[in-house]
Amino acid sequence: MKRIFKIYTPFINAGMQETATYRVNWVFYILGSVLGCFVSYFIWHAVFLSGSGETMNGFSLPQMIVYIFLIFLTSTMIGSDAAWAVGEEVRDGSIAMRLIKPVSYNATFLFQELGNKLLTEMFLVVPLIAGLEIVRTVIVGRVEFSVVNLLIYLCSCVLAYLINFFFNICFGFLAFVIKYLWGANMMKNCIVGFLSGAIIPLSFLPETLGRIFMLLPFASLNYTPVMIYMGVYQGTELLYYIGLQVFWALFFFGLSKLLWVVSVRRLSVQGG
Amino acid sequence: MIQVENLRKEFKKTVKEPGLKGSFKSLFRPKTERVVAVDDISFEVPKGEILGFIGPNGAGKSTVIKMLTGILTPTSGRCTINGKNPTVSRKSYVKEIGVVFGQRTQLWWDLPLRETYGVLKEIYEVDDKSYKERMAFLNETLDLESFISSPVRTLSLGQRMRADIAASLLHSPKVLFLDEPTIGLDVVVKDNIRRAIEQINRQEQTTVILTTHDLADIELLADRIVMIDKGRNVFDGSVGELKTRYGQIRELNFVTDSPDPKAALDYLRHFSIGEEDVSVKCEGSAVKVRFNSSAVPVSDILAYTLETVHVNDISVKDADIEEIIRRLYKQGVE
Amino acid sequence: MKHIRRLFRIHRIFVVQELKRMMEYKGDFIVGVIGFLMVQCSNLLFLWIIFNNIPNLLGWSLNEVVFIYGFSLIPKGIDHLFFDNLWAIGHFTVRKGDFDKYLTRPVNTLVHVLFEKLQIDALGELIMGIALVCVSLPQLQIEWSVFKVLLGIAAVFFATFIFTGIKIITASVAFWKKRSGNIIYMVYMFNDFAKYPVTIYNEVIKNLITYIIPFAFTAYFPALYLLTGENPLYNVGMTVLMSLALMSLGVFVWHRGIRAYESAGS
Repeated sequence: MKRIFKIYTPFINAGMQETATYRVNWVFYILGSVLGCFVSYFIWHAVFLSGSGETMNGFSLPQMIVYIFLIFLTSTMIGSDAAWAVGEEVRDGSIAMRLIKPVSYNATFLFQELGNKLLTEMFLVVPLIAGLEIVRTVIVGRVEFSVVNLLIYLCSCVLAYLINFFFNICFGFLAFVIKYLWGANMMKNCIVGFLSGAIIPLSFLPETLGRIFMLLPFASLNYTPVMIYMGVYQGTELLYYIGLQVFWALFFFGLSKLLWVVSVRRLSVQGG
Repeated sequence: MIQVENLRKEFKKTVKEPGLKGSFKSLFRPKTERVVAVDDISFEVPKGEILGFIGPNGAGKSTVIKMLTGILTPTSGRCTINGKNPTVSRKSYVKEIGVVFGQRTQLWWDLPLRETYGVLKEIYEVDDKSYKERMAFLNETLDLESFISSPVRTLSLGQRMRADIAASLLHSPKVLFLDEPTIGLDVVVKDNIRRAIEQINRQEQTTVILTTHDLADIELLADRIVMIDKGRNVFDGSVGELKTRYGQIRELNFVTDSPDPKAALDYLRHFSIGEEDVSVKCEGSAVKVRFNSSAVPVSDILAYTLETVHVNDISVKDADIEEIIRRLYKQGVE
Repeated sequence: MKHIRRLFRIHRIFVVQELKRMMEYKGDFIVGVIGFLMVQCSNLLFLWIIFNNIPNLLGWSLNEVVFIYGFSLIPKGIDHLFFDNLWAIGHFTVRKGDFDKYLTRPVNTLVHVLFEKLQIDALGELIMGIALVCVSLPQLQIEWSVFKVLLGIAAVFFATFIFTGIKIITASVAFWKKRSGNIIYMVYMFNDFAKYPVTIYNEVIKNLITYIIPFAFTAYFPALYLLTGENPLYNVGMTVLMSLALMSLGVFVWHRGIRAYESAGS
């Protein structure tokens, strides 16, 4: 483990420096992206004003606010460009180079992206969570923030990131079949967004549909970490969902390896 | 034809402070300093001339070219072609010129080459009849026929360059700017391109302004050289003038079996000349002597060398312009 | 007049080239269109699920919300379809020095940039917008007149140039700052607010999207006029005014920017 870390430290550093250079740009990007949360906030605000009860499908307005912003935070944190990277390699043929390099490409990319994230996430997590909790405390009138939940949430996010990373690696291999990955990527993001609860909480869906979605890997990406933060999952339920996350992470890791083996065969048939 | 008067360009350079705070600061209140890239450049180019425009990296060469092609706005001074000024009327100015940047293409990447010419015809408002004649001429000079139906992305670098030159000439410009037209090409292709440029210049009296790092381009094509360094004009004259003015450099090459030829051959003392007039380089048994033939006649150097060491094989070469320019760059000139 | 004819001619030439280019990558473009269509579908699904839980949204019926939403997609889609090359200016064209090309051609640079590309993906938005307006219209009691139809079409036309104007202004920042892609993005994203009735927002947001980044005039206000027939002078008139103001400012900033353009390299 230590050795692995040593090999990949330079990649983490490179990722961090890259991000530092474009920080101002990144701030604009985040500001633009966070606007969507405010749109959702106002819609939900109006919805709760128009509805009859205090809660809706288990959500009160303050909880919904937390949900909206945490979904944004989570999906930004676990976001991965792996599909792009692999897709590009497939397109320009440089994926064949992987055969002759001693370090694992996936790992290289993983660590570089992690380096990127370490920095951006600190700038995002701290102010966003702090701001959110202050607002929540003011609205509700008491502190509902739990450090334990925050810590488990962060662990759950790491798992979610790994699932997303390996899922995207698998998706990137699609470039062998589809040339225009950009359009396909948008479709994927859209479907994943919906299935993972990023558009609307899964509890708002018809019950059977919601239950099926909970079993799919996508709920593990956004919905599970956010539910953990909000303290909805406790005890055995918590363990079950974390276990499910671990399962999906291993599943996509395995699948990415399998796809790699298949494409090596394909590469050698084509002669690189 | 082309008149360049007291051209000057300053850039504002942002000084970035380190750290996030610095990045924010430079976003809202950037600290800038002025950098003078081009300082008071003037020259004239008559119709039909091929002008070699040279200078070391960072000398302000491409800044001048970009001002002459209407891309950059000069801080002060002006350039005109046939009395037209790019800062006053860019659109009518650029109709007079054709531009090729060796490292960039203006061709439509995904489409067959032919399509690019179709679009440029409209952009430059070339009528059907002239277009036909023009294409026939360009086809003949640049030999486009074999790849005119292929998508641009599939062209080789040499084909792409020919296609780009043709694209810049479609509207029969009076002045052609070529920035590094032979960069990255092999010798045969370079030769083709040079011949085409020469032919166009001769047949149509097109004025050509050429920047290049390949001094063979200059030696073979240019009637005249303008050299700039550190944003200033340092030389303006013909290739011959450059040679006579900056010394007749010759190169003596020979192979010897004498043990230490460098120590044995003391040109400095023997001819009482300075180090700027002679240099000796040994690689094993091969020796290379560069000297200024106006300081020491070739025959004297030869005689001294032959009687001092045992020589197996010997030759004298006329130094090329490259050598002269290298020396000029080094000295910083005047 | 001759000038305008030439503009149309150049536009047609560029569009034809783009269509030819698309024919080379047919499948890819279909995937892109479907992608954008799906993004809109998931937003609609969201609206539909919400309306299953409430009778109306602060007095707005589902059909009215869908109408405003659909209307907002039409000018957005048209701008996206025709003038999307501006994103490239902000992201890389200026930074890499590729903007040089436009300056060496005898065509107005802004016209050249705007006309050069066609973003077929935008059809996803445009088709969806038209479909939503068509679906919601029969359910809404709207009194139509020739005048109203004409004003509606004019509103779409001018609303399109609110998008374009804002993109031109923000893209121009790149001439000074080398890149502005994310600034375009940040400002552009405010259009998300304009897809829903403005009455659901607080005063700050309301004023922001009405007077500062006036996306509210791309959808809510003109759609309000079509729905109620009220106050065309403000609802549509301001759309025209904002559009003209933003385009003029855009053209001005753009040409100032070109004078500051430094190209790339030494």
